[in-house]
Amino acid sequence: MLKFTFSMIAVLLSTAFITTYAQQSKPATHPGTAKGIVRDTAQNYVLKSATVSIYKAADSTLLSYQVTNNYGEFNFRNLPVDQLLKLEISHVGYMTGRKNFIIPSAKNNTIDLQTIIVDRSDVTLDDVVISVPPISVNGDTLEFNAAAFKLDTNATVEDMLRAIPNVTLWGDGQITVNGAEVKSLKVNGKSFFGGDAKIALQNISKNALQKVQVYNTAKNESNPLDSTLEMNLKLKKGKDIGFFGKIGIGYGTNNRFESDASINMFTPKMELALVGAINNINKTPNNINSLMSNSTFKGVGTNVEYQPDFRASGLNRPSAAGASLTYNFIENPTYQKKSTLKANYFLQDRNSDNISETRTTTTVNSTDQIFEKSDNTNLSSNTNQRFDSNYEFSKRGQNLTLSQSININQGDSEEQTNRIAGNLENALTSTNNSLNTSNFKNLNFNLRGDYRYSPYIITHNMRFRGFSATYALSGYNNESQRLNLTEFRSFTNAGANRDFNRKYDTKNDGINQELNLTLPGLKSLIFGDKRLAGINFDLTNKLIVKSDKNDNRVQDLDTLTNTYRVNTYLNNQVQTDVIEETPGLRIEKSFYKSLSNRFYQNLTLRFHPKQILVAQNNESDRSFQDIKRSYKRFAPDGGVSYSDNQYGEYSRYYDLNYYTTIQMPGIQQLAPLTDSTNLYYLQRGNINLREEVNQEMSFSFSHYDQASKNSLNYNFRISAGLIKDNIVDSLLINDQNRRTVFLVNADGHKYLNFNGGIRKAYKFKSSEIQLSLSGNVNANKNPGYTNNVFTFSSNLNTNSNANINYTYKSYLAVVLGQSYSTYQSKQEAFNTEYSGKNLGTSLSTSYNITKQFTLNSNVSFNKSASSGAKDINFTIWNASAVYRFLKGNNAEIKFSALDLLRQNNSAINYGNSNSFTIGTQNVLTQYFMTTISYYPRQFGKKAATPR
Amino acid sequence: MLKFALSSFVICTLSFGQVLAQASKVDSSEMRTLRVDPSASRGAAASQVFDEIKFIPLETTKESLFGSISQLHITDDNYVIWDYDTKSILIFTKEGKYVAKINGSKIEKDPADKENQDFYGFTLKKENNQQLIQVSAGKYFFYFDLNGKLARKAKSGDGEVYGGNRKFSDGTEVDRSYMDKIDKDSNYYDLGLVKDKKKVAAYFPFSMDRYKGDQFYSGGESITDYGVKDELFFVNFYEYNIYKITPSKLSLTYRIIFPANNSLPSDFKENPIYKGKRREYFDKFPKAYYAIGSAYQFGNNLYFKVSNWTWGANERKAFIYNLKNGMVTSISDIEPDSLSQFLPVTDAGIHYDFANKGFHLFDGQYFYTSYSSLALFNFKEQNEGKDRKYDPALTAYFKTQNKKSNPVIIQLKPKKN
Repeated sequence: MLKFTFSMIAVLLSTAFITTYAQQSKPATHPGTAKGIVRDTAQNYVLKSATVSIYKAADSTLLSYQVTNNYGEFNFRNLPVDQLLKLEISHVGYMTGRKNFIIPSAKNNTIDLQTIIVDRSDVTLDDVVISVPPISVNGDTLEFNAAAFKLDTNATVEDMLRAIPNVTLWGDGQITVNGAEVKSLKVNGKSFFGGDAKIALQNISKNALQKVQVYNTAKNESNPLDSTLEMNLKLKKGKDIGFFGKIGIGYGTNNRFESDASINMFTPKMELALVGAINNINKTPNNINSLMSNSTFKGVGTNVEYQPDFRASGLNRPSAAGASLTYNFIENPTYQKKSTLKANYFLQDRNSDNISETRTTTTVNSTDQIFEKSDNTNLSSNTNQRFDSNYEFSKRGQNLTLSQSININQGDSEEQTNRIAGNLENALTSTNNSLNTSNFKNLNFNLRGDYRYSPYIITHNMRFRGFSATYALSGYNNESQRLNLTEFRSFTNAGANRDFNRKYDTKNDGINQELNLTLPGLKSLIFGDKRLAGINFDLTNKLIVKSDKNDNRVQDLDTLTNTYRVNTYLNNQVQTDVIEETPGLRIEKSFYKSLSNRFYQNLTLRFHPKQILVAQNNESDRSFQDIKRSYKRFAPDGGVSYSDNQYGEYSRYYDLNYYTTIQMPGIQQLAPLTDSTNLYYLQRGNINLREEVNQEMSFSFSHYDQASKNSLNYNFRISAGLIKDNIVDSLLINDQNRRTVFLVNADGHKYLNFNGGIRKAYKFKSSEIQLSLSGNVNANKNPGYTNNVFTFSSNLNTNSNANINYTYKSYLAVVLGQSYSTYQSKQEAFNTEYSGKNLGTSLSTSYNITKQFTLNSNVSFNKSASSGAKDINFTIWNASAVYRFLKGNNAEIKFSALDLLRQNNSAINYGNSNSFTIGTQNVLTQYFMTTISYYPRQFGKKAATPR
Repeated sequence: MLKFALSSFVICTLSFGQVLAQASKVDSSEMRTLRVDPSASRGAAASQVFDEIKFIPLETTKESLFGSISQLHITDDNYVIWDYDTKSILIFTKEGKYVAKINGSKIEKDPADKENQDFYGFTLKKENNQQLIQVSAGKYFFYFDLNGKLARKAKSGDGEVYGGNRKFSDGTEVDRSYMDKIDKDSNYYDLGLVKDKKKVAAYFPFSMDRYKGDQFYSGGESITDYGVKDELFFVNFYEYNIYKITPSKLSLTYRIIFPANNSLPSDFKENPIYKGKRREYFDKFPKAYYAIGSAYQFGNNLYFKVSNWTWGANERKAFIYNLKNGMVTSISDIEPDSLSQFLPVTDAGIHYDFANKGFHLFDGQYFYTSYSSLALFNFKEQNEGKDRKYDPALTAYFKTQNKKSNPVIIQLKPKKN
């Protein structure tokens, strides 16, 4: 299999090599050079930043374009010689200048067109422009004009962006323009169906687009470098009303089916989306946006398609439906003036069958290990409903956001587990069979209001410089009924045998309120315009008031009378009230260093001392649970940020942060009621538990190249923490694998996380290669007790990914991905070690044979190895053929073959502090399916039919 | 551009008083109305506008490295520069060779005075035939010679004044914010003429109220010296008039009329509906000029610049109006030619130096401007492959320096016609 992987890499690399070679050989075929200067002779100007485009005269294909430099000059290379070419010059306020020419091979393959004269147009209305340049500079906005890109009539905006040399569409959805990341995408100045760029780019027809605008939005006027790149798709006049979507239905072998619909309508003020889906192939849509983003039209280019999740455990039959509405009360909202309402409703129903078989090996002490074999069948169904809405209002420095959500989740499940425990000699020690049936209904709601005020204009003598407040209210009401039947048999001690038949009726409800207040600019409020060494003070306060009620009604079957009797021990009601108050003072000082046109550096020091005060009160039917506790702790935050912008070279950002958080033990940790039915896991509390204190330090670094072409960007983040009084398990395991867990405080928990990434793109004339590398490492040392022996368990997990994306024109897309992850766990006291690794290689290709016919293939090779078990290797190969038809490519028929090699067995392989588990579970296996889809789409009103 | 707009956003926070209108009358008998349509302005070759163009790279050493020229003065042998970035004064020879630096942070501090000793700019003073650089820091005035050596220091107020008002040859001073004390009440004027501590004339009275809740955006220095003895130009907030100040009076010399889309409403300054809402107005009408400035006259040519909310390579914001034939030349469209060694004469429309400051000064014969090495190297790169020859100074500069070197002074001798 490895051989296969390598041969695939070889194929890919050779393709890349051919393209590169083709690039280098280009000058030999197109050696022509043409230069000139653009001038307005009437006013005696040279035209700076005018667009010069060169077309083949025969078929008007665009060969190249440039923007004139500061001297009004252009200079093209790599043009074809000895054939008629057409040059067009465009500039705002000028008539299009045209000139036909031939680059003679006889004259050194060079032509000097000298001065080309353009004339002013008397009418400067945009609509009168006859021919538009592909790219133009309008003030500080870069504009790509749709009309200048000759693409297929069914092309989408995405296809057009791929044709622009300065724009890169990354495999993970990120868009960069000249190497800088586009942070948000808008359509006509507004967020489009939730803001997912893919929905706009893969649906909006290129023909509905007037231009793509790219500009910097300075968020913070006091720091001009704190700016973000935004892309706006400006639609043609009248195209700001329309609809698009997809209706699809498919049926296949083994009664596999799928069906989905997504209809999206928009007007200048309103957006409405209706979605629905039902299938039995593990395509689980969790929200409206994921359904919308997987139902996009996708134009004519190549795209590696969305795959069903073969790695998901079990077989799922999800169905979902939803609606989403956005209404802008102000048609053209701005940062300063906005009034927008959004509302969503989503209903999801899911039936799943999970069957698994596992074997877990656990280290009990330095010499003994025990194992457990477990068969588990879980049938469940649940229905989830969510309604949420959000209203945003902005006006002259005031900003108000109100949001609300309600979730209702109800369902039932039946779970059967058979477990056998044994020792290393494979001698059985005990068995435990249990059956759980349950049903539940959970309801929760959230309400949140944010208000922010910062004056529109700040002057020196202004004392009050703003204020912000956040209030959040949340509540829940959960009810469940459960029946548990358990049969425990010991082979070593018959006296330990247990049988249970227990009924639970549980009600939980609670309410949580949080109020955050920030008063910035304390200095100016108290001291007016005194400088106080340039230090800024903000007053912060967080108040949380929380109340939770837990009501348990438990009954056991009395085998003599065959009736259920109240379990007086477990029958209980507990109420916990918590008040948490955190006042704080944020102190900040910034240093700037700059040298005009050379560099700009900024260093900011932050210190935020806070005092956390908590009062916890538990009231219970059981007196031992009547616990009152209070906690007090000084928990400061702090940080240092540094940015270094070297003009024309790079910008770098460094960030160092320190946090303190505390975690209070809850009643279930302090004094739980122990339910004896779970014989393999008995939870005991500890009334003496102290609060956990986590101190974390993090450092992040990012580098942005300012080179305009083939830029290299990288970043990483590292964080390390120390937990004092970590609440950990003290595990007692007996020879029958029965565990009793006590909770204790232990020092010495340390962790370290690292993640980083590098990305680089090479854009050639007709192809593009993107390389991205990312990795993360997680190391930790957990204290704990096993059978009264204190031990540290040291864990190391790593994960690395490399991706190569290659696209050639609109014909071929290839993605090669390689992932490698490892885990390792060591128990110092027992001198044991577990380790394993997972390796995945995937090769996805999409090839457009014609504009209508596409072949897709997706192969992933998976290798899973762990100490103490045989390697698990399997390969999943999915392939499909897609044919688009009808005039607008609106209809699609697709034949797919999934898991062609029939190898999906979905292995289970994981480890934790002192055990590792391997096994298998039921998963989706081979099937074939035929799908028919229709993409209704229209931009702009339909032309009135002539009578 | 925004940064510039904000930096020129002047808000005064003085207390307010009553106004008794006793203003002198502006003489407008010789006023000329100039109609300027920026979109009809023309370009010109550098040699059509200037007789001489000289590039003076300023030597870059570890000690002489500075940001940009915030203030430039010329003595017989030296350029004296104040740099905001390094808060220092740098002295170079006329050839650009580094002479000395007066480091703001190294100025002797008064131990009793905890106040900041920062200084912002300098003035040149002649004492006993010696040219001195005067700096005001803390409670003291420091006087340095042209080698950067401290000549003397004096407590401010002891008969010593900083720079002082612009003085005409007959001793009349121009007071930019004149206060006329009558009993307890004070009258304020945008401009006053004072001789021997007595009022000659006072113009544009205002009440301190006007600064309350309003915004004043200026286009730079309001008074410019254009090298003619006993004559200065003056421009005021939110109007397009160029006034001439002479020892005896203020006269309105030029009234400029721009096309409607570039103009503020005629009552913009007085009408209370705009008070406190000026920034919103400019956001809404970015093409309207909120100020004119940097006015100089040489022969028949009137030089000036305009400020508005727009920014871009094709925005024309500095002009030369020919008073004889009415022709308007756009300074950003002065085309490099052999006289300018095929390099732009200003960085207008490309970088920020000219946009922020206009010409640094005009000494009656030469204009002085500057741009960064980042800009100059970019211009040179665009000239590559065109077989351009540079003079020995620039050739040496391009050979030994880079984009991070010190800025370059450009000395321009305008034509008189």
